[in-house]
Amino acid sequence: MDTLSSLADGFVIALTWQNLLLALLGCFLGTIMGALPGLGPSNGVAILIPLAFTLGLGATPSLILLTSVYYGAMYGGRISSILLNIPGDEPAMMTCLDGYPMAQQGRAGEALSLSGVASFVGAFIATWGLILLAPQLVKIALLFGPAEYFALFTLAFATLGGVASTNQAKTAFAAALGIGLATVGVDTQTGVPRFTFGEVHLYDGIDFLVAIVGLFALSEVFLFLEHRHGNAEANASKVSVGRLMPSFALLKYCTPTMLRTSLLGFVAGVLPGAGASLGSFVSYTFEKKLVDKEGTFGKGDPRGVAAPEAGNNAAAGGALVPMLALGVPGSGTTAVLLAVLLALNITPGPLLFTQQPDVVWGLIAALFIANFMLLAMNIPMIGLFTRVLLVPPRILMPIVAMVSFVGIYGISGSSFDLLVMVGFGVLGWVLRKLDVPLVPIILGTLLGNAMENNLRRAITISNGDWAVLVGSPLSIGLWSLAIIGFVLPIIFGRVLKARMRHMKKDEESSTID
Amino acid sequence: MSDRIFGAVGLFLALGYAWAALIIEESFLSDAVGPKAFPLIIAAVLGLASLAIFLKPDAAPEWPSLPRLLEVALAVLAMILYAILLPEAGFILATAVAASYLTWRLGSAPIGSVLIGCLTSVGIYAVFHLVLGLSLAKGPFGF
Amino acid sequence: MTFKTTRLLLAAAFLGASAFGATAADFKPENPECIAPANPGGGWDFTCRQVGKTLQDLKLLDKTMQVVNLAGGGGGVAFAEVVNKRDDDNDLIVAASSATATRLAQGAYPGNTMDQVRWVASVGADYGVIAVAADSPINTLPELLDEIKNNPTSISVAGGSAVGGWDHLKVLIAANAYGIEDVRKVKYIAFDGGGEAVTQLLAGSVQAFTGDISEAKGFVDSGDIKVIAVLAPERLPGEFADFPTAKEQGIDAIGANWRGFYAPGKMSDEAYNAWVSKVSDLYSSDEWKAIMAANGLAPLDLQGEEFEQFVANSVQQIQNISKEIGIIK
Repeated sequence: MDTLSSLADGFVIALTWQNLLLALLGCFLGTIMGALPGLGPSNGVAILIPLAFTLGLGATPSLILLTSVYYGAMYGGRISSILLNIPGDEPAMMTCLDGYPMAQQGRAGEALSLSGVASFVGAFIATWGLILLAPQLVKIALLFGPAEYFALFTLAFATLGGVASTNQAKTAFAAALGIGLATVGVDTQTGVPRFTFGEVHLYDGIDFLVAIVGLFALSEVFLFLEHRHGNAEANASKVSVGRLMPSFALLKYCTPTMLRTSLLGFVAGVLPGAGASLGSFVSYTFEKKLVDKEGTFGKGDPRGVAAPEAGNNAAAGGALVPMLALGVPGSGTTAVLLAVLLALNITPGPLLFTQQPDVVWGLIAALFIANFMLLAMNIPMIGLFTRVLLVPPRILMPIVAMVSFVGIYGISGSSFDLLVMVGFGVLGWVLRKLDVPLVPIILGTLLGNAMENNLRRAITISNGDWAVLVGSPLSIGLWSLAIIGFVLPIIFGRVLKARMRHMKKDEESSTID
Repeated sequence: MSDRIFGAVGLFLALGYAWAALIIEESFLSDAVGPKAFPLIIAAVLGLASLAIFLKPDAAPEWPSLPRLLEVALAVLAMILYAILLPEAGFILATAVAASYLTWRLGSAPIGSVLIGCLTSVGIYAVFHLVLGLSLAKGPFGF
Repeated sequence: MTFKTTRLLLAAAFLGASAFGATAADFKPENPECIAPANPGGGWDFTCRQVGKTLQDLKLLDKTMQVVNLAGGGGGVAFAEVVNKRDDDNDLIVAASSATATRLAQGAYPGNTMDQVRWVASVGADYGVIAVAADSPINTLPELLDEIKNNPTSISVAGGSAVGGWDHLKVLIAANAYGIEDVRKVKYIAFDGGGEAVTQLLAGSVQAFTGDISEAKGFVDSGDIKVIAVLAPERLPGEFADFPTAKEQGIDAIGANWRGFYAPGKMSDEAYNAWVSKVSDLYSSDEWKAIMAANGLAPLDLQGEEFEQFVANSVQQIQNISKEIGIIK
């Protein structure tokens, strides 16, 4: 009950006209920045910090503004994923897989509203998790040493087998390519440059935003150019938006998915270094594993839209747990928020909840407010968002390309990054033609460094003993899950499928007889 | 056929990557694993995957005809020029030209393209610079 | 880093107050700009944004200072850009820190040296700390270093910077001062930021932590970790006064992560002096003192030539120790 009265105090702090307006502004700007390719939640928050300072806001109002932007961007990322097949930010990558096919089938409105609801459910559950479990959850984070993190990331890559392509070799190729790209730059463990060819721009490595925008957005532009005289224009005009609201039956159908993935995403978010992208990724792959019996995931299954959206929004809330309770950012965005907290004279850490309860509870109340506001704002605006589909592609595509360039240039100020992005665009175009999935590449560039660093930390701490990788019950559990749950099925699945085919043939031949 | 070429290219990529990993100059201060081991593991995965693609190719995709291919190549060139000239020419000018070109090549009428290109450029400038406060490239005219 | 902060402090305060008063008022930057050589959200970005905001609040600038993010090469891209393209720009300052000095010292900005730019002023420093978990049997810095000396594989030290980076160097400076001959034996594990390193200390993966005071503060308050040494010349003021310095434990090691600015090399003297005086006025304002307190920044008040000399000294010192441990040849 103590918790509830603190929460009530928090609402008293947060529910002023000024704070509500700030939350509205933050939600709106966040949604836009989430939807624009190249600007994600972390940049979105960073860009708006000066605004908070310029307005001369105090600690709680600043946090309300910036966390609204954070949650808003998590909502917004899905819009361009569904409508354009271009993820607005990295956690929205998985939403493309089923969201875009849904849009192509004329169910864009439904996909958007369903994902809006899923986002709400994910964020809502995560915020409650933050309130009720934060102190206990910190202990989970402390169970993860370098060896366990390495096992966790391996598990993430093992689940890739089930995602996009039918050709597992191509999935493995894409993942290895992504991890390989992540190794470019100065090695953080020993400080030596790797694969940089003496180019100083490469010392910091390749920004995954550059990779994601190039691979998804620019390659889309190239694909379109290639097909201009083909049937694309005709197809585009045929796209219909469909109904704007999901039916009650559909919501009910997706509810178990949303609840499961919210929990999973939340736990992924709590682990520092995993973050929202991993949350949406494992939500999708585990849900596919669990419920996709007919193989409809990837072809416009509504559950494939609900799962990653609930997962990534829940992970966004989960990432606030280590940030507030440990002062450790669980994702890029929380790293920025952490810096803001420090600038506002708030030291996150184990004592934050007792020392500055007004800030914490005000923030949590703000999260609830922002979440309801986003739901209320997003559902009516779906009609507006879907208008994007009515813009003829010959106008829309150049805008997408230019926005991608600006997003990247505005953040890094580097022509070199733009050139790398064009390179990724060409690469993305070729790989798409060859049916190589792009998601594993992004996952590789996102997690490759953390995976390698944790491997090396673990081995260094154990003085060169590789057995440390399976040295704790937790890591053994993660390895077993990866192998039994995902690697063996791929191998045996093939054998089984071959046998089934064989039997089918026998059956067919017998019926013919 | 496409997949065979792709597999072969991938194999060379893996070899090149492994070679580049082997010549990483290690510093005196190395950890137990060192900077080479992990890239070598990845190179092995990359190589094996490429080999598998080479040996069991999928059906070839439909590649565009030569004029279409040229179209894509020209767009790539336009984007490269844009990336290089952006800091020199300033944001609005460079973006207007690049957007006009792409709009034109995607099938708008030339005059309409220029109009749309300019509107795109000014619109993006307004949203990103004036609203969001990002610093965009300043050209000789200050925008 | 065996500089005498207090003496410099006095000298610099005097300099800041008097020397630039006359010329400073004449120059007004038309489009004040601050380059943060990293993406938004990092330490350099914050230095630019906070200083820019405070300068405007104090009416030291009548226009908003534009913050431009120019990421790449650990600051090397921005350094090269300033040297090559904007060498005579009078409106520009660039955020810098100990990391900048470390990379300059280790030749990590290929072809660039510290005398190609003018060093403006510091805005504070974050002193290094060495900490262990609260339940660790180790209670003092000599105990920790003894353990490292006798049994180097048993102690893993975690820090937030890369190998050869500033967090690593701090522990090496201490080990060196304690008389550990081959400092390469110190087992250092690099994490992504100080927060992650502290977490691994709590998780028991590592035995010691090296980082900045601001990173450790929350965990000291909660009783999860204990600071066994702060690498400052004397005990810090206020709530940090409980931390013993390395020096009083007989180990003459000082490590300060300073924050400050440099300006283009051919900036006019007039503009340079104006910037120096602006940052100096900023530094002495109450607003800035509040920001420093909030961020755990300790005083480091150096302007103009004093600051330039200070950077030169630290570059030299980092160079020496880096050579000694073999990071550079």
